[in-house]
Amino acid sequence: MKDKLTPQHTLGELKFSDLSPYEKGLVQKAVKGGFTRRDVLKLMAVTGVSVAAAQNLLFTGNEALAATPQKGGSIRMASNLHGPDDQLDPPLFTSTIDYTRGRAVYNGLIQHRDNLSLEGELAETFEPNADASEWNLKLRKGVVFHDGSPFTADDVIYSMNRHMGEESKSVVKSVLASIQEWKKVNSHEVQCILNTPNADLPVLLGLFQTKIVKNGTTGDGIGTGPFTMESFEPGVKSVHKRNENYWRDGPNLDALEITAITDPVARVNALIAGDVQMSTQIDPKAFRQVESAEGVTLLSTPAALQLGICALKNAEPGSNDDFVKGLQYIQDRERIVKRILKGKGTVANDTPISAAHGADHCHELPQRPFDPDQAKHYFEKSGYSSAEVFVAPVTSGIEDAVLLMQANCAKIGFDLKVTKVPTDGYWGAVWMREPINVVTWNMRPTAQSQMAIQFGPGAAWNDTYWNNERMGVLLQEVLSVTDPAVRHEMMCEMQTLIHEGSGMVIPAFSNINDGTADNVMGIPNVPTGQLGGNEWPEFVWLA
Amino acid sequence: MMLNMVLRRIWIGLATMVVVSVIVFIMTSILPGDVAQIVLGQSATPETLAALRAELGLDQPAYIRYFLWLGDMATGDLGTSKAGGAAISDLIGGRFGNTMLMAGLVAAISIPISVILGLWAAMHPGTWLDRTVTFGTLATISVPEFFIATLMVLILAVNLHLLPSTALLRDDMTFFELLRGLAMPIITLVIVVSAQMIRMTRAGILNVMNSPYIEMAILKGVPRQRIIVRHALFNAIGPIINVIALNLAYLVSGVVIVETIFAYPGLAKLMIDGVQTRDLPLVQACAMIFCGTYVILILIADVGSIVSNPRLRHPK
Repeated sequence: MKDKLTPQHTLGELKFSDLSPYEKGLVQKAVKGGFTRRDVLKLMAVTGVSVAAAQNLLFTGNEALAATPQKGGSIRMASNLHGPDDQLDPPLFTSTIDYTRGRAVYNGLIQHRDNLSLEGELAETFEPNADASEWNLKLRKGVVFHDGSPFTADDVIYSMNRHMGEESKSVVKSVLASIQEWKKVNSHEVQCILNTPNADLPVLLGLFQTKIVKNGTTGDGIGTGPFTMESFEPGVKSVHKRNENYWRDGPNLDALEITAITDPVARVNALIAGDVQMSTQIDPKAFRQVESAEGVTLLSTPAALQLGICALKNAEPGSNDDFVKGLQYIQDRERIVKRILKGKGTVANDTPISAAHGADHCHELPQRPFDPDQAKHYFEKSGYSSAEVFVAPVTSGIEDAVLLMQANCAKIGFDLKVTKVPTDGYWGAVWMREPINVVTWNMRPTAQSQMAIQFGPGAAWNDTYWNNERMGVLLQEVLSVTDPAVRHEMMCEMQTLIHEGSGMVIPAFSNINDGTADNVMGIPNVPTGQLGGNEWPEFVWLA
Repeated sequence: MMLNMVLRRIWIGLATMVVVSVIVFIMTSILPGDVAQIVLGQSATPETLAALRAELGLDQPAYIRYFLWLGDMATGDLGTSKAGGAAISDLIGGRFGNTMLMAGLVAAISIPISVILGLWAAMHPGTWLDRTVTFGTLATISVPEFFIATLMVLILAVNLHLLPSTALLRDDMTFFELLRGLAMPIITLVIVVSAQMIRMTRAGILNVMNSPYIEMAILKGVPRQRIIVRHALFNAIGPIINVIALNLAYLVSGVVIVETIFAYPGLAKLMIDGVQTRDLPLVQACAMIFCGTYVILILIADVGSIVSNPRLRHPK
């Protein structure tokens, strides 16, 4: 981005369409390449474009990216993981490749659209009662499954009931535990009765696992989604064709191949060589290679992918608050973002909520600095002079971040042992078991669900065993609050509680880093997963 | 006599497979976590774990699970994948074909090359040609295959755009497209397996060349080429066949690194995936195929060396 934009446009009316093709490309690349708004504004200011004009430009540039989709073409997408456990059954979806196939083949009731906004998908409308304890969903009419059978309320009741009850193996069973019952009102209207009010229910109905399958089936690839399934070989690939009877405009692509290349170097090579047009999970070590290669773009989306270090509160030494403080002050957060994440990340404040969560992020909370003296003070106060961290490469950068922490601890005379373990079997054998371990979480679409899952008292995955009563009360109450100011205040109180009291050390958030061919357009901005929250299959197009 | 030997070998081979299946079963069971934990991963709760374990039959003791598997296996039923629920015969089917295709193509190229180069080097020991072959094979044996593979991808695919970087196959490929798609892994594997076979051929023949009857032939004035092809080769063929058999078995079971780098869906990668998800029936099925391949290939190699050697054919 060394080249300057022509400086004569200083008026507020500057539009994307006024730019030369070269400048258009520059702005598009900036918007698409994960520049934050601030980056672009800064760039514009430097080149003499007024802020108002730049804002306008950015906005229209963003629109231009999404506005003129072309039909046709096909894409091969490579995820980072697959295997014989690949699934077509939504309740058992656990990986990006499953989510992507789910997005291609099925629809949900409600969809996450750009910037985490919500839109009715198979549910045309979704209305709560006064205290959000009952939700009424009117379903879309005239929608058909790939085999021609019509979509009705029975399919919804069947699909949603699979997340409930003793026999349920659903991955999101506990997340949906506030649902008491699904009731059919008529063939195209259902009612969801809740145990406890939940203003965020629509968000849960947009999860990867809550896709709608045909009544009585267990995910055989017959859905109402934008693509039909031509073939599916677990651990190899799936091939999809455009659903000609789709209820919306229909996807832009004619065909789709979803596969995975597990080796990170091979995946980047395949992208650059043009064997695949989209690739998830570009490793920080390959950023420069992708950025300097012709014809491909690094798509870096700020998200709340935490690099987490869990000090269990029910075991030594994490039970000692001073020890945890010591760990928190020894985090050289700026350096982790700059050196380890190569700038594709943001500094975190020992809470799981980032600016990507929008209004629920507590920006007022003072940033905890890198302060070796404070760390030394707290370690001394805690009485510990050594500890052991178990680390597996669960997310890129976490091992290096722990090694950096070890080096900084050594400088202040604290002996931190780092034990590297394989990812294989990590979640069963190490996470939530060893006194100090590492974790990462996919970004949940709401701040409440993110905090509830990880910090709810007694929650199944409360991975530091930090049980705070006040936290539990707030998590519950915030769901029935509709006033934005009150809601933000409560969100802030919760983030402060986590920041001050939990056993979590979160030095940084990683961006979601994917790669695409330059002509791949229309990837939505949804930071809850790879490649636009895996929402891309229906919207993506080839320029 | 020969038939007896073959029957005895088959019997030993079957016993080996049972022993291997027990060992694989025990080893996989020792690994931390079970398939339910792996499938549910970070989102496992005690409840969902129990529900999934009950459905998969993991709540039964290990020895019962083993014998249930053995019973199914004996009747030809490979079972279903614990992790994904697909029939294992379906999972293996396509990949078995892929592995055999790759192994077959590599063998068809590398075996003639190796034997010819090995013979050639042996015919002209000490010449620059022999030295080149010896040095070249030594170099390729020492370089790990992932290095050769990555280097080839960088040069041929990323920089020169000559060949695809991955071996992602489509169903509608013509034979030529298929060859082009598979070119990189094939070249890599040919380099890797040929080196050993060339050296073995050369060494085997030079070893025989020192024996008294060859000296006799030389003294009689038989040309060197004729000595090697008529007299030395047949006596050296036993070890050569054995090396070829071992390399073929390796091409079926041991090429996981090449399969991973080129994203080629073969059996070796499938077994690793199975181990990672603790998918016992899948691991067992793959182990049986690999073990069976070794048993059969080594049996063929032994028969081959007996047939080619009169002394073994007619023992005193």
